[in-house]
Parts: sequence; C-alpha cells; structure tokens
Amino acid sequence: MRRSGSPFTGVGAIALKEAADHMTSARMHMIMLLVILTALGAVYGSIGRLRDTTAEDAYLFLKLFTVAQDPLPSFAAFLGFLLPLVSIALGFDAINGEFNRRTMSRVLAQPIYRDAMLFGKFLGGLIVLAVSLLTLWLLMVGLGMLFLGLPPSGGDIVRSVAWLVVTLAYAGVWLALAIALSTLIRTPATSALAALSVWLILAVFWGMVAPLVAGVVAPVDPLEPASILNSFEWRQAISRLSPQTLYGEVTGILLDPAARSVGPLFMHQLHGAVIGSPLPTGQSLLIVWPQISALIAAMLALFTAAYVVFQRQEIRA
Amino acid sequence: MRTIQHLLAAALGASLIVPSPLLAQETDARAQSELQGLWLTTSWPELKIKPGETHSVSLSLRNEKLPPQRASIEISGVPEGWEWALKGGGRDVSAAIVSPDSTERLTLELTPPQDAGTDDAHAIEVRAQTARETITLPLLVSLSQAEEDVTGLSLEPELPALRGTARSTFSFKVKVKNEGAEDGLFNLAASVPNGFQTRFKKGYGSEEITGLPIAAGATETVTMEVVPSRGVAAGRYEAGLEVSGEGMSSTVQLSLEVTGEPQIRIVGPQERLSGEAVAGKEASFTFTLVNTGTAPASDVELNATPPAGWKVEFEPKDIAQIAPNEAREFNVRMTPSEQAIAGDYMVGIRTSNDVVSENVQFRVTVKTSTLWGAAGLGVIAAAALVMGGAVMRYGRR
Repeated sequence: MRRSGSPFTGVGAIALKEAADHMTSARMHMIMLLVILTALGAVYGSIGRLRDTTAEDAYLFLKLFTVAQDPLPSFAAFLGFLLPLVSIALGFDAINGEFNRRTMSRVLAQPIYRDAMLFGKFLGGLIVLAVSLLTLWLLMVGLGMLFLGLPPSGGDIVRSVAWLVVTLAYAGVWLALAIALSTLIRTPATSALAALSVWLILAVFWGMVAPLVAGVVAPVDPLEPASILNSFEWRQAISRLSPQTLYGEVTGILLDPAARSVGPLFMHQLHGAVIGSPLPTGQSLLIVWPQISALIAAMLALFTAAYVVFQRQEIRA
Repeated sequence: MRTIQHLLAAALGASLIVPSPLLAQETDARAQSELQGLWLTTSWPELKIKPGETHSVSLSLRNEKLPPQRASIEISGVPEGWEWALKGGGRDVSAAIVSPDSTERLTLELTPPQDAGTDDAHAIEVRAQTARETITLPLLVSLSQAEEDVTGLSLEPELPALRGTARSTFSFKVKVKNEGAEDGLFNLAASVPNGFQTRFKKGYGSEEITGLPIAAGATETVTMEVVPSRGVAAGRYEAGLEVSGEGMSSTVQLSLEVTGEPQIRIVGPQERLSGEAVAGKEASFTFTLVNTGTAPASDVELNATPPAGWKVEFEPKDIAQIAPNEAREFNVRMTPSEQAIAGDYMVGIRTSNDVVSENVQFRVTVKTSTLWGAAGLGVIAAAALVMGGAVMRYGRR
C-alpha cells in the first residue's frame, strides 16, 4: 500500500513542543547554568587580559572569544569542550525515552508519520541549541561593550556570526550522534553512557590516539625529512576525524584574521608573505570551508543513520 | 780577538773627536755676529691719519739676549690739542719690563681733533729710557682729510666655476686675505638665485660660520657651499660672495653650472601599491613610470623580486627612452605560486638604468581558488541526497 501526503506533516508542532519541553526541563537548566557560569568566567578573564595587554587591535572583539587568562581556558575552548555535553543531554533519550514512558505509540496515533517524529526531535534540539548559543553570543558582546567600552566593528560581527553558525553545526553533530544512539539503544542510561564515551574518546583521548596511529601507519625515519612531514600529515588527517579538531581549526581561523593556514607551511610559501596582516573574511572562510562542510555533512550523515534505523524499527511495543 | 775590537773602537772615537775644536770656534764667531740689545720699533713709522678718529700705532719693545730691562716710555712732540694714550695690556702705562729674548707690545693711541689742519707732518718721538741707555723712535704723522680708498681685502677663489647636478652641493673654496693693517672680524654674505641655500665654513672645518676673524696680513680659506633648489632647471647660475668688515669689503663672482638629471618614479595602478590575485592565476597590473627629473632617462630596465614560485613578467620588458615629465605605462603580469597561501605578499618592483634606480613594494592580496569551496558544497549536497534517498525509501511509515 502506497501512503500519500508529505512525510513532514507535523514536524513544526513536534519541534516546537520538543523545544518547549527542553527549555523548561531541569536537566537543561542545570547544564546551561554550567555553560553560562564557565563562559562568564572565561570572558571576565579575557577582558582583564585585554585591558592589561592589548594596545590597539582592529579585531579586539574577536579576542574576547580566544584570549584566555591562565587558570581558565578561553571562551571558544570552553564551548568546544562543553557544547557536546549540552547536545548529549538534549538528545540521549530522544527516542528510547519515548518508548520507556510508553508515549511513542500515543504520539504516533496522531495523524503524522514517523518521519515527522524524528525530524521534529532533531530540529527541536537544534532550536534550543541555537537559542542558547545566540544568548551566549549576545551576552559576550554585551559584556565586551560594557567592559571594553567599544562597539564591535562590522568585521568582528561578520566573523563571530559565521563562527556562531559553525558552532551550531558542531553542536548539531553531537546532537545527531546522541539521537542516533538513542534509537539504537533501548535503555536511556546506556545510550547516555555510550554517547559520553564517544565524547570522551574524541574530545579527550583523540589527541593521544592520533599520534599513536600515525606512528604505526607512517613511522618517522630520522634520516628522511619527508617521512616526518608524511607522519605529520597522517597525524593531522587522523585527528581530523574528531569533530573537536575540526571545530578547533575553524575557531582558530575565523576568530584570528591573521591566521592563514591550518596545515603545515613551507618556507617557500612564506617567502615574501606579510605576516600578521588580516585576511578578508571570505578568504578565512574558504580556508576552513572543508572543515565546515565536514561538520555539516557529518551531522547530516549521523542523522540519516538515525533516521534509517528508526524507520526500520518495530515500534508497536 | 776582543782586544782588537777595543782598539778599533778607540781609533774610530779619536777620528771623530779630532775636528771638534774647529766647530767650537765657528759657533763663537756666529754668536758674536748675532744681535744683542734693546729696540723700540714699529712697523710703519710714517703714517697718515684722519682727524677726529682714534688711531692706534703699535709699538714693540724687543729685548735680545739682555737681562730683564725696565724701560720708561715717554712721548714727546704730540701737537697741541691732540689726545693720546699709551696702552699696554689694555691699560694706560708709562713703563715696561721686557724679559730676555721677548717682545712687549704697546699701543700708542692718537686722536687728532676734528678741526686739525691737514697736510702738516708732525714729528712725534717715543723714548724708552732704561738704566743704561735711551732709545728713541721718531714717528712722522701727517693728517689727511681725503677718504682713503683702501680695500684691504682680497678674495681669490680656488675654482671659480663648478658643475654638478641639482642635488649636488657646490663647494667653493675662497682665500680671503686681510691686507689691512689691523686684525678684524669680517662678515660673509652670499647673493645667490632664489631658492638656493648657502653655508659658510672655515677651511675644511664642519662648523657653519657667519663671519671670521682674520689677522692683519693673514689669509684664511672660506668654503662657501651652495645647494641649488631641487627643481631648478639645468643651466648656468651666478653666485656672489661678499666679505666685509672693518670698513673694508670685497666681492667675488662665482658660477655654478647645474646639469640635468633624470629621476624616475613608479606609480602603481590607480596610484595604489596594492592589488589582488588568485593563487595560480595570472593577474595584470598597469604601472606608470614617470620621469620627474630634468634630463631624459634611457634604457630603463624593469625587474621584480617576487616571492618564491611566483612568475612576474613585464610588458614591455624595458623602456628605451623617457623624456622629462613624461609618463609611460607598463604592464606587470603576476602569477602567484599554486601553493601560495591566502593573504598578503610583497612583490618588489624595480626600475633602473645606469644612472637612476627606483623600487617600490607592491602588496598583493592572494585569494585562493573557490574550487575547494565547491567541493565542500558537493560533500554537503551528497549527504543531503543520501538523506533525501533515505526519506524516499523509508519515509511515511
């Protein structure tokens, strides 16, 4: 029997309801409180640093995101570390939670398709993430204006908004991963643990794994300079499997207009180059465009996997 | 052996000593012929002076090979109504003591009254009286009303005409001789065309001066440096040097020949020294070469110092001739290296011939190709297609 109609009927309703549920949940409140507190600490530290050290800088506001005062990492580094936690908190029980509460069949008893259910869950999570990120961004800019006494320049705004969009894609990757695991695994606790271990491996241990694997695949021969480069490239390629690395590279280029490359640079490329001159925003975006597209594509691929698994599941439990 | 050496030395010594009595006799004879005594002298014992003005007559008292001599100085024969004073060391004196082999200088100041009759010669006698003798020095002073036309200064340029470019410094060395009777401070003044700068220096010194003291009869070298104004046209210019002071003045005419000189300047596209290029793609910029000098520049070569791996070509490769105030355009085609990273690079552009050279730094903002951007979009599109396929295949359940 061929069913008719759009598979996406009711996506909006589910997404908005899901977002509303998240916004009022104690879980979300706790985790956002954590994020906002750490972010405030990081910004306060960076403002202190900026007022002490920076003389004149065309991109002063971008430094708010990247400058760190010693015990605290920078705001961008905080987000790179904590955003996966927020996403996992939003998505780890998206599907299996519905089963456990026995609400899945009730929702699907409504005149909507299953597609709308999963898309709505994902979009609802993304809406919540977007709202939180925008709030954080406005908070940062406001604090910057308050303490530095300067309005952000046009270039600052464009670059930081682009960075915000990439941050959303990065959070989306982790959200898609958490939702995929929640469709695969029936117990919410197990799926949360699975998502957290993936996060731990990719965020914390990947920096140790990549050199190990690169050493095995392309061993360094001290007498052969080319092998050092080869090994380095392997290490970079392997570490780029982690979204954390990709996001770090995007941050480094977008928030530092003087940065010109993410890979190894050779002397002949630097001959005659004017070091420290800012790049046009479009050129900075072009440098990290592969990273950005990888993040977006990973988000889509993970979601598609979740979708395929969910569509083929037996849900009349 | 040793004794023989001693004998030889003794013989040699004897031969050297033998002529000594002869030498002693000679020096004695010379000493007796040398002068000995006390003299009162002046350089110009007969002189003409003008009424109403104070004139100084310098006297010197010389003691040659005598013990210190005290001499009382008396003046007699000064006409009625004249004022006079005898000065030594700036004070009125009437006696002097002269050490052996030295000279004391005294000055007799004479001031005839304004209405003194002219054309009379007055014999004035200066007497120096010591314990042993009296020395007299007769002076013959006459009055003359006529204004004496004594220049007393002579200027002699070493090289009266010099040649150079508008940027050279023309150094004229002029010998100034004070032929007057007195030491004096002389002012230096130059008359040069408008816009020319002048400096005076003494001899080879480095201090700039405005005047210099010259002793009577002495010669000093003055260096007059003339710097033409930058934009001066080629040609011949006159410069005058006037030295004046102590009632004397003298001028000398000097000449400068300024030759033309090419001077080139590179002007970037739209007067900017920056441009954009895409890595691995050729970009063309139109530069302008301007000759701001006063002579044509010929065979101007165009060169570039690009970053490694870049290709820079000029069209035309060189410029055969460019006249003063003429502008000539040339194209620079740059191909940044394929591996150039996005951002700014400096490319040096140099033009030179055997006379002049000029270089500028051209800042090229390298942009990378958007091909990889399209590839990234392709990856995203592929992911979206897979998702769409999944929706088509498994959708609507």
